[in-house]
Amino acid sequence: MSIILDHLCHTYEAGTTLKSEALKDISLKIDDGEFIGLIGHTGSGKSTLVQHLNGLLKPTSGNIYYNGADINDSDYDIKSLRKEVGLVFQYPEHQLFETDVFSDVCFGPKNMGFDKKEVELTAYSALETVGIDHDLFYVSPFDLSGGQKRRVAIAGVLAMKPKVLILDEPTAGLDPAGRDEILGLVRKLHKENGITVILVSHSMEDVANNVGRIIVMERGGIFMDGTPTDIFARSDELETIGLAAPEVTYIMRALKKKGLDVNTFATTIDEAVPSILSALKARKC
Amino acid sequence: MSSIVKTEDLTFDYIRRDEEGNVEGIITAVDNVSLDVKEGEFIAILGHNGSGKSTLAKHINAILYPTEGTVYVDGKDTSDIRNLWDVRQCAGMIFQNPDNQIIGQIVEEDVGFGPENLGTPTEEIWQRVEESLRAVHMYELRKKSPNKLSGGQKQRVSIAGVLAMHPKCIILDEPTAMLDPEGRKEVIRSIRALNDVEKITIILITHNMEETIYADRIFVMDKGKIAMEGTPKEIFSKVERLQSLRLTVPQVTLLAHELKKAGLQLPDGILTAEELICQLS
Repeated sequence: MSIILDHLCHTYEAGTTLKSEALKDISLKIDDGEFIGLIGHTGSGKSTLVQHLNGLLKPTSGNIYYNGADINDSDYDIKSLRKEVGLVFQYPEHQLFETDVFSDVCFGPKNMGFDKKEVELTAYSALETVGIDHDLFYVSPFDLSGGQKRRVAIAGVLAMKPKVLILDEPTAGLDPAGRDEILGLVRKLHKENGITVILVSHSMEDVANNVGRIIVMERGGIFMDGTPTDIFARSDELETIGLAAPEVTYIMRALKKKGLDVNTFATTIDEAVPSILSALKARKC
Repeated sequence: MSSIVKTEDLTFDYIRRDEEGNVEGIITAVDNVSLDVKEGEFIAILGHNGSGKSTLAKHINAILYPTEGTVYVDGKDTSDIRNLWDVRQCAGMIFQNPDNQIIGQIVEEDVGFGPENLGTPTEEIWQRVEESLRAVHMYELRKKSPNKLSGGQKQRVSIAGVLAMHPKCIILDEPTAMLDPEGRKEVIRSIRALNDVEKITIILITHNMEETIYADRIFVMDKGKIAMEGTPKEIFSKVERLQSLRLTVPQVTLLAHELKKAGLQLPDGILTAEELICQLS
């Protein structure tokens, strides 16, 4: 079970003077249960890529296979794909529209043609998963805080019981605690429900702290693909395309230069602290 | 130094009404806030979502008027309608989404929109457009269409648009939230240069702690009130207190804090990598 992109190309406004190649010959395999970070500067093609994964955009050339079937075949059931591959857009709370939280989350499964009872059960469990209290179920979504609204919007996607969850900058504009809540939720969904997660982010810290694999995009192509340690070890190359390693990695390198024998591959504070402590201890001896 | 923005016991209520116009609920978004910003200062405002930062900011630009209390911008009461133009010319505002603030078909037209509305002579408009675009390093792209620009570039065009009004103070409400790391750097660099070189007062609202370490003072808001006030060093020394207010500290400060918890002798409020490296080696 996997998603395979085979020589995927996408050109906006093909055949006009405004033509721009957003994706150039992308080949990629995403396995079940992976937690992937997709990074790249604005305009590098991240959003175009993820919109192909649930069939919102069609490739100009190339193919996308979901569990072995080509999703752009004329007889492919695109509706079932959209149920399985959930896409949370940037600022998803802008898409809340119902009069209360519960109805908003019901909207997706209702459209999928489930019966009333099933719709309500899935909506209920989705709201539970994202940690929205019962007393907020019948409140207008517009009276919630930014972080709550976003969790409700994510619940709307979870109510479809997706097997793959794609989140396009889910923490933009949230306060630090709100950011941790959303990321904690995503981690939990990945760990406990085994959902495949693709996280599009501009925060190297968020990516370093969470994902198992990073895909770096640049000018519509794949620039790097590997573990966080591998990717952030190549920070010189990342800097040439407007990205960087997490702050912690730079500190570790500077400490190494000063003669402290620390692990320069550390990308998170949790990795850095024991490494610095043991290096200091070793120096004292 | 004279004060440029001053609020006295500012309170603002959002009043929700039902269809008949009866009051359904009152939310006090800003609660009895008194603060005084001096000319040329770089102020950062932190606070969780819903803490009242944006509501406060909108008072400085006379988008909202106090329910109670008074706001003075450059000595003028913002709730006096006769001061409206002066207040808005003196204190310009930048919002989060770059796409919502650009109206011109080409960059220089967009920047000229403000001074044109002020009735500035054509010759001077062009002069101001040029100065403003140079100040944010966007002069080379003046003939471009704004929708061909990156997010960071668009935000800098918006800032140039405010600069062309010759403001004394610029309020920026999460200007980098929608930008990539490079765009963030560009915008923050521009803001710092305007403060250092042009001596423009900056009030920066942000969720990104790293962006505030160069501020002269930080205000932390919670439930509509000012919960903490101080220099970045003072504020970021209080890691647990900030976390209880749904905030955090810069990565470097957090690393130093964790090391200190593990038993190392380190001072509080380390803000830069250089400081930490110096302390450790």
